[in-house]
Amino acid sequence: MSHSLNEIEAMSKRAGRGAGLSWGLAEEAAKGTRWLSAFGFPGTELLADLLELNDRIPPIDVSPVSLSAEVWHAPARRMSPLIAGASLSDCAVRLLDRGTITMENVSLPLLAVPFMGGAALRLGVPVAVEWVGARLATDGKQLCVQASPEALEARQAQKLVFSAPADMSGRREPVLRADVSEESWDRLAAFAHRTFAPATEESRLRGAGAGLSDND
Amino acid sequence: MTKVSCRDPNLVMRLARLGSIHQSRLSFMRILTRRMAREGWRFEQTAFEIDASGVGHAVYTAHGPDRSYSLIAFAHDLPAEKRSDRVIAEAWDATFTLFDGIPTLDDISRLSQNIPLQEAGRVSGTELSVSRANRSVRLWEHVVSALASGKQPSADQIDAVGYLMRTTAVYGSGKLGAADREMIADRPEFHAPFQVEMLSVYLTRWFVTDLVQHMANIRAAETGATAEQLDADLARSMGIGNSTGLGMAPFLLNHPVLFNNWVAAREQAIQAVRQVEWATDEDIALFKHLLDRSKQTIATWHSEHPIQIDKLSALRADVVLVTSYLVQADLSASHPWDALYRWAEETLSLEGQEWIASLMLEPYGALVDDMSSGMAADNTATFRIAGAMSIGDLRALLADVYTWAIETNWAAPENKARAWYVSEEKLEPRLGERFEEPIEEYEQPLAPGRDAAALFNALAHWPDEAQVSDFLLRHPEHRHVLRRAQIVGRAPYAEIRDNTISDRVLPIDMLRCKLAFFGATKFDPRSDRWVRICMYGNAPFPLELTQDNADFWVYPDQEEAKA
Repeated sequence: MSHSLNEIEAMSKRAGRGAGLSWGLAEEAAKGTRWLSAFGFPGTELLADLLELNDRIPPIDVSPVSLSAEVWHAPARRMSPLIAGASLSDCAVRLLDRGTITMENVSLPLLAVPFMGGAALRLGVPVAVEWVGARLATDGKQLCVQASPEALEARQAQKLVFSAPADMSGRREPVLRADVSEESWDRLAAFAHRTFAPATEESRLRGAGAGLSDND
Repeated sequence: MTKVSCRDPNLVMRLARLGSIHQSRLSFMRILTRRMAREGWRFEQTAFEIDASGVGHAVYTAHGPDRSYSLIAFAHDLPAEKRSDRVIAEAWDATFTLFDGIPTLDDISRLSQNIPLQEAGRVSGTELSVSRANRSVRLWEHVVSALASGKQPSADQIDAVGYLMRTTAVYGSGKLGAADREMIADRPEFHAPFQVEMLSVYLTRWFVTDLVQHMANIRAAETGATAEQLDADLARSMGIGNSTGLGMAPFLLNHPVLFNNWVAAREQAIQAVRQVEWATDEDIALFKHLLDRSKQTIATWHSEHPIQIDKLSALRADVVLVTSYLVQADLSASHPWDALYRWAEETLSLEGQEWIASLMLEPYGALVDDMSSGMAADNTATFRIAGAMSIGDLRALLADVYTWAIETNWAAPENKARAWYVSEEKLEPRLGERFEEPIEEYEQPLAPGRDAAALFNALAHWPDEAQVSDFLLRHPEHRHVLRRAQIVGRAPYAEIRDNTISDRVLPIDMLRCKLAFFGATKFDPRSDRWVRICMYGNAPFPLELTQDNADFWVYPDQEEAKA
């Protein structure tokens, strides 16, 4: 079904929160999923996969141990693309200084790609990422994709190398509408539902501060 | 030349003041009517297929210079027991969508299956908004029965309510599958915020006037009589009501850059007018004329809520003070508006100060109207956290922006008595008692003061030279508020500098602020978290709109008011 990008962002934020992400990381998940959807990728499916994989586990287990390490790796030997991606965006200046940032064992690597967009906008130069079978580059506005479908759907990338500045070729423009599979939407909705307070009579009467009938 | 600064965010961004803001030249309704008049928009009713029981649809199209937009209205026969203004309602007297262009019969047929369902329906990228409205039962019946019996309705009864229908939600920007704002934001007519929603409501008012006449005609015909035509002046005196609950309060907190841009535009306008060195006789005359007309609005502003009754009584006392000030003040002296404002700040209630601050912009359209071009926001650039910021700089930023919050004792129950949450019932936003209801685990991040103070404390043992990126890796729980703090560092009016979860918080202050930027008047709180207002009261109808009446309609015409 066709969805607006704002719907995708709102659903993803709630789902991320429902899966135990902090609000700030849930916001990153939401912006990232929106970004991927705008470029025609199955953002909601990837996010649902990741939230199911890491459901309610402590974020520190799937976070980089150190941002100054030569290679970023997580204690659980499986790194969250959202947490590592958010850190990459936070380290945009460091990325340009170092030239590359390498990560190990990143789950669902495509979910880390939107964070390059933020880094590229901050730096004003394109940022690229490579893993086996895939190279993507963005200036924050357009995206170049050279990748096999299998690589884009990879469950885990053993090695992910981000670099800046990068070359852009074969640009892809974002679209302003996205097709979302019902199945992925329902999976995200199940996570989102955890953030809603159960309906109770007391809540219905007190919480909104208004009467139930307006026949005046 | 006197240098006047913009007002300090620590003064402006307090809830009590935000909850006292008045509409101004920069209000979104007035931006829209000025543009449509200037560009000579053309309006037509292209369908009105409503049966004797009041059920059917109608289409109203607005033709701009490059594009047309159509309000598709569906009228329903609503049983009284289902009439609720809350989000949890499931049926309404009328439902609407603003369509991008001119709808085909297929579009109308598709939308007739979805718009009446509101949140339970789906729309597409050709729909720009989805909204609904309920009748004011009292006034609706009075107007229909008066007209049907060959009489005009009572002006007093109309004044007492102000509208025939009130909207209970106007959804835009991608909601329910509609077009995202990004799809239309590059169109000049939608550059300013909420222009889609304001256009939808403007056309809704026309439809409602046609519908009430239609229902009166039908009732008269049942007895073989002919109904009276609703007097044009009476019709114009009515606006569209709006009934608003807590949904608007999170909006201001969730769109900090946008909110900053609204407030900053108004503050820059106030600053620019305070810097005017000499006022011309025409400027002074226009100000005094509109001040007199504005007094009518204040005189006929009713509320039964104790908070607003107190504020209104202070405002009415302020009107007397302003009147006597203007008798002795010399507005032809240098910097008259700065003198007036400074006197107001020392003398008047917050309602009175904000009333004068908005009103003194009126003679200066040429100076301030362009400031509306800065009121929209694209959040892309501000969303990313600047991870290279030092902890020392962050600490200084927090100490500057969130002074009040850092000094608040957050262990005291009264300072965090409330929690914002979303109910699973149609996702209705609600505010609960943290220590009395099982809601804390569902709390939304709508207490930036508390969260900023927690961040400030968490930084205490971090060295100044450490970087934000390293802190966030260890503390993702502070990521949300750290982003906010960085935004406020660049956009000083982005943050409400007050406690949004205390036992004394009045959510209506946030609703009032947002609605004032829309251009609403006559705020009438129903509780501490629910408010009714009137939109487009006294505005020319689309077919009457000219450049002469497109701007000052918000101030009632004196002759009319006396008649």
